[in-house]
Amino acid sequence: MGSLNLRREVLAMRRIVFLAFGALAMSVPAFAQIELTGSYSPILYEDYIERGPGSDLGDFTGMPMTDEGRAKALLYTSNLPSTVERQCLAQAPWVLQYRPLGMRIWSEVDKDDKVVAWKIEGDYLRDTLTIWMDGRPEPSPNALSTAAGFSTGKWEGDTLTVRTTHVKTTWIRRGNGIPASDQTTYWVHLTRHDDLLTVVTIQEDPFYLSEPHVVSRVFKFDPRANQGGRSICNTANEIPRLEDSGIVPHYLPGQNPEADFMMRTYNLPKEAALGYAESLYPEYRHKLKGVYTPPASCGRYCCGWIERQGLPGAAPGLSCNDGGLGELNPVVKGKQDEGKK
Amino acid sequence: MAVLALNVSAQGRGAAPAGRAGGPPSARAAAPFDPTGYWVAIISEDWRWRMVTPAKGDVVSIPLSPEGLRVAEAWDPAKDEAAGEQCKAYGAAGLMRGPTRLHITWQDDNTLKIESDYGQQTRLLRFTGVSGASEAGRAGAGAKTWQGVTTAQWVMAAGGGRGRGGARHGSIKSVTTQMRPGYLRKNGVPYSDRATMTEYWDLHTETNGDQYLVDTNVVDDPVYLQTPWITSLHFKKEKDGSKWDPSTCDARF
Repeated sequence: MGSLNLRREVLAMRRIVFLAFGALAMSVPAFAQIELTGSYSPILYEDYIERGPGSDLGDFTGMPMTDEGRAKALLYTSNLPSTVERQCLAQAPWVLQYRPLGMRIWSEVDKDDKVVAWKIEGDYLRDTLTIWMDGRPEPSPNALSTAAGFSTGKWEGDTLTVRTTHVKTTWIRRGNGIPASDQTTYWVHLTRHDDLLTVVTIQEDPFYLSEPHVVSRVFKFDPRANQGGRSICNTANEIPRLEDSGIVPHYLPGQNPEADFMMRTYNLPKEAALGYAESLYPEYRHKLKGVYTPPASCGRYCCGWIERQGLPGAAPGLSCNDGGLGELNPVVKGKQDEGKK
Repeated sequence: MAVLALNVSAQGRGAAPAGRAGGPPSARAAAPFDPTGYWVAIISEDWRWRMVTPAKGDVVSIPLSPEGLRVAEAWDPAKDEAAGEQCKAYGAAGLMRGPTRLHITWQDDNTLKIESDYGQQTRLLRFTGVSGASEAGRAGAGAKTWQGVTTAQWVMAAGGGRGRGGARHGSIKSVTTQMRPGYLRKNGVPYSDRATMTEYWDLHTETNGDQYLVDTNVVDDPVYLQTPWITSLHFKKEKDGSKWDPSTCDARF
């Protein structure tokens, strides 16, 4: 009798434990994911010149552009965004891939603590990127295009996959006129590995790209960085001679004096310099071999980190070139200060 | 115990499930995605430093130490050729940023073979279940090589693989050590034999069927780098090997 009671108690306990664990299991979301919330610093070890001091004019290397995209880009002059009405134009939603500052990510939840949307703010974004996670449908193709566009997301394992549409026509990359149309679609994959966040953007544009443009960047989780606050854009008259002139700075087709800058400076063939898709693939090296010769010396922005940290050029006789920073160069400034003493 | 298991899984850091026979499944059997096939590097970033050899001394983007910069400034491809070291830019830490195609196959159930047509190199990712420099070091106490010794493990993601029919997700984490001194960049930007390379490999499949293999790559070198050099490389899957184009190591181009 005693052993029967004991057996019933054990069975009852097992039932309670089973139900308790069942409830616990159900409380774990079916697709519990990596936490993305936080501030992330960009790691500028790729395309540093583009993301730091700014690209050379006419540098479309690594881009798969259409003839139309190339033609539009070559109309561009860097005076154009200095006009008052263009200083605060929208930037592409995923422009953070090409900028020197980081981003801040957070989630918004409903009353049941379920994530409704992921939010991203960052340097040069003119709006908060909202990635809807609640399965809402995409708006009509005729719906308003905005600076942030319309984004939906879903988890694929530990990767947040995002689709962004309804964007505005913008410049993307480099500040040298490479365009993106309002028909652009971005597919984005955000994957966190430990404290690194890898962001892959696959950009499709039926007007200005001849094939999807793929870029992958790494950001680092940095709770002290306080990255990504949305900057407020104020306009000012930057070029007095343009004030109230009605002039729209531009180059006429075929008259951009910088169209061959990359060719004459870095000995690159036209297809590579001006963003023909064939130049993105290894077989293009067959065309380069015998044609390309490296420049005799590095002309600009060669020292990178050494100079930025104010360290001298490591050893006497180094030909480290600061890219024309002049007095802003900490090494030069240090020597000048020393001379004044 | 059960709660602990759930939490570990929810954080996406659970190990691959054990096999029915009780032992762990092979790396090939545990694979949450298929990394095999032909892949082509898309050179859409750092084109001028990856597709062609930049000028001597152009070390921009790489956090070199003063000693690293000094060595880069002393680059002499003729010297490398004379020493039979034309492959210095094709070691594992430089190879992955090269303009290459990769052919990835399973050499055996626990070894992933990555071949490049650029310089005709072969990397072997040995799945040990433990990924770390010390493990890699134990695995390869012999001579240092261009491709070094790489240990790897699957890192299984949350949400996948539970229940029947659920899609499984995960990534590969690999650690490479025992590399012979080489170049991060063709123009002689150095890494030393003390360098370690940690990589996270992810597969992304698009709605149109395109697949991209993304290698988040961390090179740490106490000799020539001030901080780890962190980049990511992306490769697009090709339908076959028809564009495979083997080339030999070249110290200049």
